[in-house]
Amino acid sequence: MALPSMASAPRRRPLPASLVWGAGIFAFVLFIAVAGPFLAPFDYDQMNILKRMQAPSAVHWFGTDEFGRDVFSRVLYGARLSIAMGIGATMISLAIGVPLGLIAGYYRGWPEEAIMRGVDVLISIPPIMLGLLILAVTTPSVWKSALAVGVIYVPIMVRLTRSVCLEVMGEEFVEAAKARGERGWYILFSEILPNAWPPIIVETALRVTFAIMLGAALSFLGLGVQPPASDWGLMIAEARPFIHQAPWIAVAPGIALVITVIAINLLGDGLREILDPRMKRDRL
Amino acid sequence: MSEAILDVKNLTVAYEGGGRSSRALNDISFRIERGKVLGIVGESGSGKSTAAMAVLGLLPGGAKPSGQVLFKGQDIYAKSPEERRALRGREISIVFQDPFTSLNPSIQVGRQIAEPLILHKGMEEKAALQEAENLLREVGITDPARTAKAYPHQLSGGMKQRALIATALACDPELMILDEPTTALDVTIEAQILDLLEALRVKRNLSMMFISHNLGVIARLADEVCVLYAGDVVEYGPKETVLGPGHRHPYTKGLLASLPKLTDRRDRLFPIPGRLPDLSQTIPGCIFEARCPFACKGCGQPQPLQAVGADHVSRCWRSLELADVPWRADDAEGGVAAHSTREHQPGGEMLLEARDVVKRFTVVSGLPALKFDASGGGFPLRYEPVSLRAVDRVTLSIRQGETVGLVGESGCGKSTFGRCLIRLIEPQGGEVLLRGEDILSASPGRHRALMQEAQIIFQNPDSSLNPRKTVREILARPIRLFGIAEGAEVDRKVDELLDMVRLSPRYASRYPHQMSGGEKQRVGIARALASKPKFIVCDEAVSALDVSVQASILNLLADLRDELNVAYLFISHDLSVISHIADRICVMYRGGIVELGPTERILQPPYHPYTEALLSAVPFIEKGARQRERIRLAGSVTGSTEQIVGCRFQDRCPRKLGGICETVTPPARSSAEGHEILCHIPLEELSGYESVLEPLERRA
Amino acid sequence: MFGYLLQRLLYIFVIVAVMSVLIFWITQIMPGNVAYMILGDFAGMDQILALEQKLGLHDPIHVQYWRWAQGLLQFDLGDSLIMERPIAPILFDAIGNSAILALSSIGLVALVGIWLGVYSAIHHGKAGDHIVSLATYVTLAVPEFFWCVLLIILFVGYLGWFPATGYTSLSEGFFVWAQHLILPVVALVMGLMAHVSRLTRSSMLEVMHSQYVLAARAKGVPEGLVIRRHALRNALLPTITVLAIDVGVLMGGIVVVETIFSYPGLGRLLIFAIQQMDVPLIQACLIVVTIVYAVANLLADILYTFLNPRIRYGSSVNG
Repeated sequence: MALPSMASAPRRRPLPASLVWGAGIFAFVLFIAVAGPFLAPFDYDQMNILKRMQAPSAVHWFGTDEFGRDVFSRVLYGARLSIAMGIGATMISLAIGVPLGLIAGYYRGWPEEAIMRGVDVLISIPPIMLGLLILAVTTPSVWKSALAVGVIYVPIMVRLTRSVCLEVMGEEFVEAAKARGERGWYILFSEILPNAWPPIIVETALRVTFAIMLGAALSFLGLGVQPPASDWGLMIAEARPFIHQAPWIAVAPGIALVITVIAINLLGDGLREILDPRMKRDRL
Repeated sequence: MSEAILDVKNLTVAYEGGGRSSRALNDISFRIERGKVLGIVGESGSGKSTAAMAVLGLLPGGAKPSGQVLFKGQDIYAKSPEERRALRGREISIVFQDPFTSLNPSIQVGRQIAEPLILHKGMEEKAALQEAENLLREVGITDPARTAKAYPHQLSGGMKQRALIATALACDPELMILDEPTTALDVTIEAQILDLLEALRVKRNLSMMFISHNLGVIARLADEVCVLYAGDVVEYGPKETVLGPGHRHPYTKGLLASLPKLTDRRDRLFPIPGRLPDLSQTIPGCIFEARCPFACKGCGQPQPLQAVGADHVSRCWRSLELADVPWRADDAEGGVAAHSTREHQPGGEMLLEARDVVKRFTVVSGLPALKFDASGGGFPLRYEPVSLRAVDRVTLSIRQGETVGLVGESGCGKSTFGRCLIRLIEPQGGEVLLRGEDILSASPGRHRALMQEAQIIFQNPDSSLNPRKTVREILARPIRLFGIAEGAEVDRKVDELLDMVRLSPRYASRYPHQMSGGEKQRVGIARALASKPKFIVCDEAVSALDVSVQASILNLLADLRDELNVAYLFISHDLSVISHIADRICVMYRGGIVELGPTERILQPPYHPYTEALLSAVPFIEKGARQRERIRLAGSVTGSTEQIVGCRFQDRCPRKLGGICETVTPPARSSAEGHEILCHIPLEELSGYESVLEPLERRA
Repeated sequence: MFGYLLQRLLYIFVIVAVMSVLIFWITQIMPGNVAYMILGDFAGMDQILALEQKLGLHDPIHVQYWRWAQGLLQFDLGDSLIMERPIAPILFDAIGNSAILALSSIGLVALVGIWLGVYSAIHHGKAGDHIVSLATYVTLAVPEFFWCVLLIILFVGYLGWFPATGYTSLSEGFFVWAQHLILPVVALVMGLMAHVSRLTRSSMLEVMHSQYVLAARAKGVPEGLVIRRHALRNALLPTITVLAIDVGVLMGGIVVVETIFSYPGLGRLLIFAIQQMDVPLIQACLIVVTIVYAVANLLADILYTFLNPRIRYGSSVNG
């Protein structure tokens, strides 16, 4: 069958609930990530030894940590680095992966061989290992862990883009363009890409969630964000010694992380529903 | 009246979903008597497959059936689901359309056939497997033991369908449902399967419910025919009446008039205009009114089925009045009706000459081509890449304004050859001269210029238009690319093109998904015409369309050819379509031409044994057409990976002479100017064969 | 089939070789002076130079790599700089401990994940399906390290059922051994189980709508048998591929989980090595991880081949 779903794409239907909710919550989280410092009731590293490890209250919504800092404010601040790492890493994998995938899919022959074999090697590295490898040899920092996570997902983007590209290239309208003697770039950008982006966008949403979680895991291991700056992963790591006395210090950023990931997953599902209902979820 | 195996009374099925309800079947009734075959005929959307599922009790979740389905006098919907299940496969069995997906890919074929025997008859596994082999033998499989142990992917389409028929036969059912059992198969394989079903029917006194869109196939097997349109029975009666001159309903008239026929090569077909009504809406009057050329005042009333003869009913109040009025409908589809007045005169100057075109595809290469073989001695590893000779030294020339039909079974290389001619596929050898200039060796710039003159129309209307572009964008691109017009002029050209393919200018702003299959195909044709080509490859251009739509596209293509003096290479697996439109026919087998000549000559002896076999495989409905002798080909086409020695067709040829066919390339024998047959059998003997068709009337 | 397996085998060899070069090259440019680390703070410059000479650190990098790779092929992984002991025995202990975690996790993921997926597919649209879908949706969004934290808060702190950290060997009693294992395994499998279950559900749904399942029903095959005999095997094919990929995710999880639970496995060893800049140990850990992952993929390939007759038997034989 020839792209039946895409044929029905522009039809006007009510937006799926998952899209509305996902986009709404994610927009809220994004807003917090940008405006966090202005919204926060306290400064994120304002210590107060007298107020150590206070339980959540009307003043300190999420309680205070071991230095008496306001956990709620820190969660708001942490959003920025967590989200930035997730989106940044995904953008890196998009920026490298999509062009490579298009080249491999469209030009075939030796470029495809070279790209796909490289991808095979990269994909045979367990996801966290590349991050560990890069961060092991240099001083950790946010942009490095974003880069590491981004590079990990390049092979997945290349494979997806290539397979979508090959699928669209099998369509007769691409043959028609070739029969007109159209140049490669025209076919690639005007005929193939407009039909290839829906699954890529859906995959991108999924990648952002994985990148956020992986980035947080690296920070948690001390290989990402360095104190005094903080993201949700590092906050949980720092709270670990006190989880029995003051569980809220660890739980609050964790829940923020989970809600963000669920929101992006919802957004991805909604996008898939309106863009490309055929695509399977759960592709890694 | 004899005993009814199946008696369906007032069956209505509606699909619920998304808050909408859509009727698939509307109060239909039919009965099948013991040992009889009921043919159910209809185009896509007629509800014929829903009828099959309703009889089996296997309607999908959202479907709501009402009415009665009496099997041997008992309503199957009054039974419990468990009782219905016990009926399936034991007393009612089914063969589906697509043999490629109907067998479980991970279970051996024999086990799948044995399954109902073990389930319903309580047979031991070993005995059941033995019985499965017997069944495979009965359905004409030559090596049942090996086939039973094979997995589905190891069998050809025809063999899979035989295995599925064997499964359906396993428990000796009372009723067998056949849902388009030959639609996915090549015409020669279709003929084999129809022969098999005919023989089984007699041998086992089977009752069958035979569903098909193909009137010819229905005509081969059915005793009675039920014509479905948009979920309604519109005509129902004995085969000879409904598919013969006695048919009464306008829709049946339309269907028969749209059909290209081998024996009656009229210049024009008479298609059914318009499209299927929206089945989620209630239609107050006659369901066919909107598309019926005979519609008049009284048609606004609901139409009951009325008796128009012995055992013959029709859902049209004017049935008898219109008995002798032939179907004449205009083929305008949402646009201007136009009709070429120019006479078709093929054979101007030489336009395109292809010489010795060769295309090989590498099938196996790299590591998978490494073969481990310790038996032969020496180093046990060997590198054996395999390449398929899709097109093997084909030479063909086409004149201006001429239509050359290219026919052959799937896998014979016809599409590949067509694409080589416009360099969509780069051949490895040979030359393709367009007005004397070689396309294959042309510089990139020159190649682009030549592409303006040679275009292509594709098979699949859903795939041939970019779903993200409007019709205007689609058509404007070639106009600009080839510098045919600029600025505001482009829009005028687009309208002109739409007019040419009989679509109104308002189609310009539509997206592909807002159009029907026939309309999309018209846009595809307009796009090919945009660059004002002189040569167009039509690759199965009407194969994906319903009969009524197919007819209007064929008419359009014929008109355009006459108006614009373009030449077509018309590729199709359907000889009736080819012979309707083509001036000359080229018959291809395993990558090479076996016969080439004017259409009239191809359809009559002397012809190549392969042509003869193709002709006798075509199922006919025309009265007067008869296939005097049925030639059947065993097996199916296999791609050739090695250099072909001798005749291409010798592996399946029913008239094979012997050793000479295997070793010596057959000579081209010519019966008349421009007619060549590549065969070792002398022309006199070939001429002596009895004609498959009755002698043809000359084209009017 | 022979060609296919040979191809896969060759492939894995190439990948491990490429990875070994990559690992060696990257870790070799690591800051931190090996000789300095061995000799300690009080070593003189000439001592360091002499030791570097002895260790071959002045040789061109490809000579160093070759020496390392040769050792690798003979299971000689060099000495740990920090622990000043041969790496191989340390590593084998760690691998053993991690293998217990990994195998029980992947087994659990496969069993429970597939079961949940099949369950919700055959109860499609019913309450059970909705509950499983919702649960997996949330579970999928929780990273392993947060699972660890939650589990520790609940089961260690609040309920006090399990010890927080550490490992005891099986010889000290099954109960104590299992007690130390349960929380890490649960933390590891939650996300993966959700992943496998969602995938199995969607491929099972697809198969249940296939023509051959319809054909089986039309033969009168009872629904239970339709699921077991006709649907399951075909639906599991994509799950196997994903399980192999999940082994990679699992390894990431193991690093995190072992660190949190102070479980003496490969993951903790690797983090320890990274923190201590113990270059030979880092190299050894990474190459082992790569090999294990490659072997897991090979096993998945073999299993896939076994379940898929299309690969097991060559294609079409006409008769």
